[in-house]
Amino acid sequence: MIFADIIFVIIILITLGGALMTVLSGSIIYALMGLVTTMFGVAGLYIYLNAPFLAMMQILIYVGAISVLITFAIMLIGPLYKKPKEWSYPLKFILAAVVALFSFFVFAKVILKTQWTVLSKPFAISTKDIGRLLFDRLTFPFELISLVIVVAIIGAVMLSLYSRGEK
Amino acid sequence: MTGIGLYNSLNVYLFIGLALLACGILGVVYRRTLISMLISIELIMNGAGLNLVAFNRFVAPESAYGMAFTLFIMGIAAAEAAIALAIIILILRRYRHVEGAKLKEMKD
Repeated sequence: MIFADIIFVIIILITLGGALMTVLSGSIIYALMGLVTTMFGVAGLYIYLNAPFLAMMQILIYVGAISVLITFAIMLIGPLYKKPKEWSYPLKFILAAVVALFSFFVFAKVILKTQWTVLSKPFAISTKDIGRLLFDRLTFPFELISLVIVVAIIGAVMLSLYSRGEK
Repeated sequence: MTGIGLYNSLNVYLFIGLALLACGILGVVYRRTLISMLISIELIMNGAGLNLVAFNRFVAPESAYGMAFTLFIMGIAAAEAAIALAIIILILRRYRHVEGAKLKEMKD
């Protein structure tokens, strides 16, 4: 099982490296590439958590849909060399790092102090079970999510159409 | 030959989700343009979904609610990205920039 450990550590490094590249890179398009890397890493972690359906959905929705949406927005904003650099003055970076590290250590303390009741049962949830749960118990939230997405798409179209005339 | 079994412990996944959360907070506070802040919010949502699936795998292994809610989070993230990008395009059309710190008309 040492091979699985090596692959797992590589996936963790991909995830954390992508997250750091997202935050610290100088331009928006590099940040987006870092986000895609992080999403692939999280998909690998889902596979280690015995959830291959969620890994496929992660790649399809996040990498396939949301990244393309953000890429279109970056293209609509225009050439990047006319925009100011992402690096602002260093005091702001220090303060932001203090805030992030403070939240990190607070939650790390909470995680380490809590005694989680980890059950050692074998985990055998298939895609069929997820679908049965979605269409049996969680039917109302599922339909509500679809309504939210329809309203969001209509709202985005209305926002970008009706502001073109005014100015 | 048995490895250390790193992938069978809950705390590893919780710390990865926590690292994603910290990176997202750093990005939201520190980045200048609105699109970078949106990308950082997507990082936070990834961490939340990872936490939910890890709790479903280790604490409640006989149900699938965590996975279903991770699917819901993905749908919410898609809707939120669509609306936020429409608002960013509107801000670009009206003010000719997308910097978060320069949007201070409501502050005066």
